[in-house]
Amino acid sequence: MTKLETTLATLLADIGTFYEPKKWHFLTVNGIDLGEGKIELQWIFSKYGVKDEIVIYYALSDYETPVPSLVSLIPSAFMGEREIVDMFGLKVDGAERGLYLDEDSLQHPLRSES
Amino acid sequence: MKFFTSFRKKSPWILHYNAGSCNGCDIEILAALGPKFDLERFGVINTGNPKQSDIFLVTGPVTYRSRERLVELYSQIPEPKVVIAVGSCTTTGGVFRGMYNVEDGIDQYIPVDVYVPGCASTPQLIIDAIVKALEILENKSKEIEKPFKLFGSVETIGNKLSRLNMAKRVKHD
Amino acid sequence: MKKTIQIPLGSQHISLLEPIRFKFECENEKIIGVDADVGFVHRGVELACTRSFEFKQVGYVVARVCGLCAITHSLSYTLAAEKLLGYEANDRIKYLRMLMVELDRIHSHMLCLAHTAENAGFEALFMQIMADRELVMDLQEAISGNRVQFDFIAIGGVNRDLTPELTALIHKNLTLLSEKIDALIGLFNNNWSLSLKYKGVGVLRLEDAYTYNALGPLARAAGLATDVRVETSDFPYEDIGYTMILESTGDIHARNFVRLREIVNSIAMCRNIADNLPAGEILEKTKGKPKGEAVVRVEAPRGELFYLVRGNGGNMLERVRIKTPTFSGIPAMMEVFKSSEYADAPAILASFDPCMSCTAK
Ligand code: SF4
Repeated sequence: MTKLETTLATLLADIGTFYEPKKWHFLTVNGIDLGEGKIELQWIFSKYGVKDEIVIYYALSDYETPVPSLVSLIPSAFMGEREIVDMFGLKVDGAERGLYLDEDSLQHPLRSES
Repeated sequence: MKFFTSFRKKSPWILHYNAGSCNGCDIEILAALGPKFDLERFGVINTGNPKQSDIFLVTGPVTYRSRERLVELYSQIPEPKVVIAVGSCTTTGGVFRGMYNVEDGIDQYIPVDVYVPGCASTPQLIIDAIVKALEILENKSKEIEKPFKLFGSVETIGNKLSRLNMAKRVKHD
Repeated sequence: MKKTIQIPLGSQHISLLEPIRFKFECENEKIIGVDADVGFVHRGVELACTRSFEFKQVGYVVARVCGLCAITHSLSYTLAAEKLLGYEANDRIKYLRMLMVELDRIHSHMLCLAHTAENAGFEALFMQIMADRELVMDLQEAISGNRVQFDFIAIGGVNRDLTPELTALIHKNLTLLSEKIDALIGLFNNNWSLSLKYKGVGVLRLEDAYTYNALGPLARAAGLATDVRVETSDFPYEDIGYTMILESTGDIHARNFVRLREIVNSIAMCRNIADNLPAGEILEKTKGKPKGEAVVRVEAPRGELFYLVRGNGGNMLERVRIKTPTFSGIPAMMEVFKSSEYADAPAILASFDPCMSCTAK
C-alpha cells in the first residue's frame, strides 16, 4: 500500500497524470473524519494483475471547501462522490445529495459530531 | 361466497417485500418455495401483485425510504390478509436496532400476525409460520363473512371492526 | 407527440429480490437512458461499526450487510483487524476460511443462475438449479451450523473445525453437484431457446469494462483479466488449484458461463482443501487493540470487496469503510442497459447478480 499526498487544488492534475484505465482499477473515494471540522479524503486505486499493489491518494480538507470531481477522468467515480456528499455533507461539483438519504435531508451521519 | 373461501384456504398467494433486510431471509424464503422444502405443494405461490395476495411476507427492519412502500403495499392487499414478519431484524430490529436509518421492526408501521425469529430464519420455520398464517386467515375470513346490518341496532361498523381486531387501524370513539 | 416514454421497474417487482427502482427512458422498445435509485436498503452499518459495537463484535455485524456474501464481509473485516493487531493466521485457519468462501461462491453463483433462468422465463430450470443448490446449503449447515448467516470466522481463527465425517460429506455432495453442473453446462450451451434469450443480449464491451471499472464475473465475461484472488497474497489460492476463468463476448451467455466454470473450479478447490488440510489450532488468542490503518481486498462472489479499517488503539474503531462489489459495478451496469430492449431488462438485471443490501449498506 502506497500513500501519496495531494491537495484538492492539484488533485485533477495529479490523478490525470497517474491514472491509466488499462493499468489501474479505481476502487472508490473515501472520507475519514478527523474531528474538529477536518476531514481526510482518499482516492484508492489498485493495479490489475499485480499482487498487493494499492495506491491511495489523500488530501486534507474541511467540510466547506468544494471537492473537485473526477468524473471527467474516471466516469465511474460518480457513485463514490455521491456517497461522500450524503455521508459527510461535502460539496462535490456535479454530485447531488440523494443516493442514500433524502435530497433535503439535513443529516450527515459520518461527521464526528453528529 | 363459499366458493371463494374454499379457494383462499387451499391456495393462499404470498407477496414478498424486502424492507431493508440483508437478503439472508429472502434467500431462505426462495429456498422454502423451491423444490426441497416445496411450499408450493400447499398451493402457496409467490406473486408480485398485492391485489391478488393473501399473505404478506416482510423481511427487514424497515428503512427510512422503504416505509412508505411498505404501508402502501399493505393497504393494497384486500381483506382478509395476514402479515408475517420473517427474521429477527423484522420483528425487533435485530442487529440493526438503533441505526440511524432504521425504524426498529415492521410492527411500528403495520399490524403483524406471525413473528418468525432467527437470523436467518430457516425454511422450516417459514413453513411453520405460513401454516400458522393459514389458520389465522381462515379465522379472519369467517369473522369477515358474519352478517351485519348497516342500519339498526344489531351491530355498528365500529363494533364490527373492534370484533375483528382491526379497530386500531381505524380511529373511532 | 412525445418521443420517449418512461417506464419504471421496482421498487417492488416479481423479478426483483430486493428493492431497487429503475427509471427506463424508452424509445419504442429500446432503452436509451437509465436512472437507478439504490438507497432503499440503506441502514447505516458503517456508522454503527464505529459507534455502537466494539471491534470484536464488528465482524458479526458486517456479516449482516449482505446475507449472500456474509462470509466474505466478515472475512475481510477480520483480516483487516488481524493486520492491525499484528497477527497472522496459521495454514489450517487459512484453508478453512478459503473452504467456506468457495462454498459460499458456489451457492451464490447458483442462485444467480437460477434467477437469470427464471427471469428469462424458464421456471423449471429455476426449480432445478434451486434443488441442486441445496447440496451446498446442506454442506454449509453441516460445517458451520447455519444455512445462511454462519458466523464462522472470528478474530484469531474460525469457530468450528472439520471432522472426518464432514470431509466425507464434502466429497459426497460435491461429486453429486459436479455431475449436475456438467449437465447444466451442456444445457446452457446447447438449448436453443436459452441461447435466444442470452446470446448477444446485454453486451458489455471490453473498453467499457475498463472505462467503467467493471469487476468480478461482469468484467471477466468481457475479457478483463482481474480477480482479487490472484491480486492479493492473503490466501494461497495458487496452491489449491485456482485458475482464472475468462470469456470474451460479454453478453448474458458469457456471464452465465463464467459463473458455471467458476463453480467447477471452486468445487475442485474445495476438494483439494478437504484433502490437504494442514494441521494446527483453529482458534488462537490475539492480544492488543487495533491501531493504525489497514486495507483488505477479498474476492466476493460478485467481485472485489474492499475494507479500510482505522483504529486508534481503543476498543472502538475510528472508521470502517466498506466498498462492495455491486456499488462499483453500477456504472457499468447502467451502460449495458442503454441500447438494449426493454423486454430483456429483467434478465439482464438478474445476470449482473446485483446485491442491493451490499450497495446501500
Ligand atoms: S434476520 Fe438476520 S438474516 Fe434475516 S434479514 Fe435480518 S439480518 Fe438478515
